Amino acid sequence: MFDHIECFYRPGTLREALALLQKTGRRGAIVAGATDVVTRADRSPRYFIDVTHLDLDYVRKNGRGCTIGAATTMMALEKSSIIRGFAGGILAKAAATCGSIQNRNMATVGGNLANASPAADSAVVLLALDAHLVVANSRRKHRIPLAEFYVGPHKTVLKSELIVEIVIPALPGGRSGWSFQKLGRTETDISLVNAAVGLQADAHGRIKWSRIAMGAVGPMPVRARAAEKLLAGNALSEDLLAQAGEAVMNAVSPISDGRASAEYRREMSAVLARRALRECAAQAGIPIGN
Amino acid sequence: MQVMLTINGEAKRLSITPGDLLLDVLRRECYFGVKRGCETGECGACTVLVNGKPVNSCLMFAAQAEGTEILTIEGVAPDGNLDPLQTAFLDHGAVQCGYCTPGMILSAKALLAERPDPTDAEVREALAGNFCRCTGYLKPVEAVLAAAQAYRQAGSRGVSTKSGRSRGQARKKR
Repeated sequence: MFDHIECFYRPGTLREALALLQKTGRRGAIVAGATDVVTRADRSPRYFIDVTHLDLDYVRKNGRGCTIGAATTMMALEKSSIIRGFAGGILAKAAATCGSIQNRNMATVGGNLANASPAADSAVVLLALDAHLVVANSRRKHRIPLAEFYVGPHKTVLKSELIVEIVIPALPGGRSGWSFQKLGRTETDISLVNAAVGLQADAHGRIKWSRIAMGAVGPMPVRARAAEKLLAGNALSEDLLAQAGEAVMNAVSPISDGRASAEYRREMSAVLARRALRECAAQAGIPIGN
Repeated sequence: MQVMLTINGEAKRLSITPGDLLLDVLRRECYFGVKRGCETGECGACTVLVNGKPVNSCLMFAAQAEGTEILTIEGVAPDGNLDPLQTAFLDHGAVQCGYCTPGMILSAKALLAERPDPTDAEVREALAGNFCRCTGYLKPVEAVLAAAQAYRQAGSRGVSTKSGRSRGQARKKR
């Protein structure tokens, strides 16, 4: 299937990898876990550049937040005590649903983001966590907010660039709750709808702020900003949950495919968002009135 | 290009093309227990252990295997004495056509190396990436739980102080 590949590069440093990326240009393709590269079977690359030997597999935490090497596998994320203890462990939970163990042992978080599947489970969580990507080419290194990274299904702003690191800013202090929700045919199947939600309680048990990210319901994962605004500053009630669900439904633009209809996905977006909000509220100690 | 790796304990230097998949290379080298199934990383028939971790060899480039240790089903019973997992699969009728069996046994082997006393749910998760189209999953799950007990009794995976769960109890949990 890949008999047209002329060279498989295994650079040992980031500088070397970026030089190869520049040299091979459009004919070079980045390989990390390979799970997407093989299944996509794009015949245009002539060169593969393996980025799994650049010391980009790490998870670190400091006062400014969390940084994750782009070549960290889904399995390493799900096992990382830092990730399990950060924001209710929602990134670990999402990583644990990204396919079978065999695939999670290979698939990397950078690859999951760069592949730009609208259903990517790590992307929806990182969007809710306001993550930035550190992206490099041979000339410069810069930061891109994940919210500005996608331009369409399987399309990103990357141009012969490599995702080096994912940066999650420190969470605001105070009592917060986080939830990852996924609707799939099985636990490890591709998501029909996924959601990552966080919220924080103020001193009066009202919602200080909320973040609601929805995936698999549009060309790219989206934040339901109108729903977030609706919740901010208010006490949570069944009525407000229903309104937030409506706002989430208005924020998504799902398609119908072999897995589910657009109507079903839209309806389930509200269900998952409400389910997530309830879980977050319980964690944050926010009561739900009538 | 050349790749140096260890397969079933044997050091090998193999000639590969840059785009070769590990599955194709292993089968070319006559490790026919590595089965060609879906070739899209769904079915797990091509599962091998790479440095002890289950991986779909259809989704891995052979060039990525440089310096790794690979275990295929052929290396599980090198001296002809069946591994307790293999015995348990036979005893429990967990093998029908056998196509998925090598992958299931390797996935289970990796699980038991990490979790000598797995729960029913952990066994099911470990086998979730190995599709069986004949007999189903009940018997393989039972076989893995029985093999875990056999391993513990034999002490071949470190002696666990916890008492082994009987098959009857394991079934009740579901």
